[in-house]
Amino acid sequence: MTDFAFNIDVPVRSEWSNVDLLITSVENCFAAMFADIDGCHTIAMVTGELLENAIKYGDWTRGHRVFRLHVSGRDKEATVSVENPISPDNKAIEDLFATLRWLDGFASPDEAYRARLLEVANAPRGGGMSKLGLVRIAYEANCRLRAEKEHDAVRVTAQLIL
Amino acid sequence: MLSADDRLSAGDLTIEAVQATPSSPLGLLWSGKSNDRHPGKILGPYFAKMLDRAGAQRVPIELHFETLDYLNSSTITAIIQVIQDARAKAVKLVIVFDPARRWQKLSFDALKVFARDDGLMELRPTNGER
Repeated sequence: MTDFAFNIDVPVRSEWSNVDLLITSVENCFAAMFADIDGCHTIAMVTGELLENAIKYGDWTRGHRVFRLHVSGRDKEATVSVENPISPDNKAIEDLFATLRWLDGFASPDEAYRARLLEVANAPRGGGMSKLGLVRIAYEANCRLRAEKEHDAVRVTAQLIL
Repeated sequence: MLSADDRLSAGDLTIEAVQATPSSPLGLLWSGKSNDRHPGKILGPYFAKMLDRAGAQRVPIELHFETLDYLNSSTITAIIQVIQDARAKAVKLVIVFDPARRWQKLSFDALKVFARDDGLMELRPTNGER
C-alpha cells in the first residue's frame, strides 16, 4: 500500500438528504489527503451526480432501500462507483447505456457536454430525464465512465486522474 | 423596491436580490448549495417574478455565482431555462462567476453555447469580488 491509497465503501439509504451528506464527507476526506481543493470538489461532484442518479432511477420497491458507494484510488487516480438495484423493465437503464455510447461518439467530453446543453435547451420542459449529470461528470472531471448490469443491479463507475 | 419576499431560501440554497436604484441591474446573489432534487420547481417561479420585474424596469439581471459552493446538474438545467426565458422576454442576463474556482470556470464557460449576437446574454468571469 502506498501512502495515499484510500478506500471508502459504504451502504447508503436511498434518501435524497444523504446525497449532500456524502458529497461533504467525500470532499472532506479528500481535503484531508490532498491540497488540491479543485480536485476535491471534482471528486465530490462526481460522487453527488452518481448518487443522485442511483436514488432517482434505482428500484426502491423491495429490499432494504439501500445502495452502495465505493470510492478508492491512490496518488493521482481515483475511482467512484455507485451500485443500485434496478427493476428489469426500467427504461432508465437503456438510457444509461445509450448515454455512454453517445459520449463515446464525441472527440472530447467538452464537445459532448456542449452538445448535451443544447439538447437540454431544445427538449420539452418537464420532459423527464435530461441525462446531463453523466455528461457533466465526463466533462468536468475529464474521466472515463462505464456501467455494468448484473441481474437486478447496475454499477456505474467513473475513473479520474487527479 | 425590493422586499423580503425577493429573497429565496430553499434548503441549502439562498438567493439574495440586490438593486441600488430602480435603474440599476437587478443582482441575484447565489450562496450555499443548489442540491435540490427538483430545483426547477423552486427556481422557475422565482425567476419568472424577477424577469418580470427586470423587464418592467428595463434593466439587466445579473446572476452572481461567485460564492455558490455547489450546484447539481438539475440546477444547470434550470439555469438553461432562465437563459431561454430571459431571451424570450428580451431581458439581458449577465452570468457572473469566479474562474479561479475550477468547477465554476468549467460549468459557466460552457454556457457560451447559448450566446447570440443579440447581446442578451453575457458571461462575466470575475476575481470573486463584487
